[in-house]
Parts: sequence; C-alpha cells; structure tokens
Amino acid sequence: MRYRPWLGPIKRLGATALLAGMVSGCIQVRAPDKPIEINLNVKIQQEVVVRLQQDAKDLIQNNPELFPK
Amino acid sequence: MTRSNFKSRLLGAALVGLLALSAPALAQDAVSAAKAAGQVGEQADGYLGIKGSVSGEVRQAVDALNIKRRAAYTDLAAKRGVTVADMAAVTGCQTLATRVSQGQIYRIGSGDWQVKGAGPIALPDYCASASQ
Repeated sequence: MRYRPWLGPIKRLGATALLAGMVSGCIQVRAPDKPIEINLNVKIQQEVVVRLQQDAKDLIQNNPELFPK
Repeated sequence: MTRSNFKSRLLGAALVGLLALSAPALAQDAVSAAKAAGQVGEQADGYLGIKGSVSGEVRQAVDALNIKRRAAYTDLAAKRGVTVADMAAVTGCQTLATRVSQGQIYRIGSGDWQVKGAGPIALPDYCASASQ
C-alpha cells in the first residue's frame, strides 16, 4: 500500500463524526417524577408453585419438628 | 474452689449438655407455645416471624427453626433448579394453609400481622393452585 499521509486525519475525522452521531443518537433517559415503588411481596410464577407444591407438602410432612403447629 | 462450688458447676455443665441434646425439641416446644400465645406466626415467605418483643429464649427458638427451614429450602431448591426464595414461598402457601390454627397470627407479604379466624386464610394469589 502506498504511503498516504493525508489519509490519517481524514480517518480520525470520520471516527469523530461517527462517535458524535452515536452520542446524539442515544435515547435520553429521564428519572421518573414519581418515587419508585418497591414491592416487598413475594413474586412467583404460578407454574413454579404447581411444580414445587408436592415438594413443599412432603417437606412439612417429613420434618414436622421444623413446622410446629 | 470449694467442693460444693465444684458440684454446682458440674451440675451446670450437665444441664447445659442436656439442653444442647434436647435443643431441637425445646425449640419446637417454645415455638409452639409462642404461636399459641400470639407472639410468633407463620409468614408467606415460608419462615416464622416474631410479633413485638419476645424473650431471648423464644427468639433463639424461632431463629433455630428458621435456619433449619432455610437449609431444607436450599437443599430442595438446588434439586429442583429454583431459587431458595421460591421454594420457601411455595412452602409458605402450605404452612399458611395447614399450620396456622384459629386464633394464631400470620403475616402475608410485608403486611400487618393478622389473627386467623374461623375460616381459611385468604392466601396470596400465587398460592391459588396450592391445594390445601
């Protein structure tokens, strides 16, 4: 390849333009006005409940000392 | 050291040993009594909770059972490939349904403690499929 000293600055300029384009293309994220609600309640999939409920029943039945009435 | 002093120390050590041996049974009894007294109750998260202030003995008993429960949940969760919290919560559905007697307290989510009435407890929605 031939040595072309004028190519360097052009490449750099291109990269800068690309970066600028990327930055301006970013989605602006604004903090919501309302406070974020943190839900301390249990969130669980119904399917998981179905799958695990026999295990849970067995666990209680086989370890009554951990689950006193 | 006098002889009687030594004797009482020996008796103390023996008592401590006896306590250590019967600790699980004691924890169970202490929790049962505290549940009946409305100081301790089942929670939807699968663990026992304490309402207000209780004696150190009760607190220790509750902690002991909760630690054992967590160990059991962790074990099962690993076997089934679910989170410990999920395993605990599903068990919580069962304990709320089967381990709370009328007059005892229970708690769902971060809500207040409630006293179980004559009817069944209104379980959280995700428990709906859990047969009782």
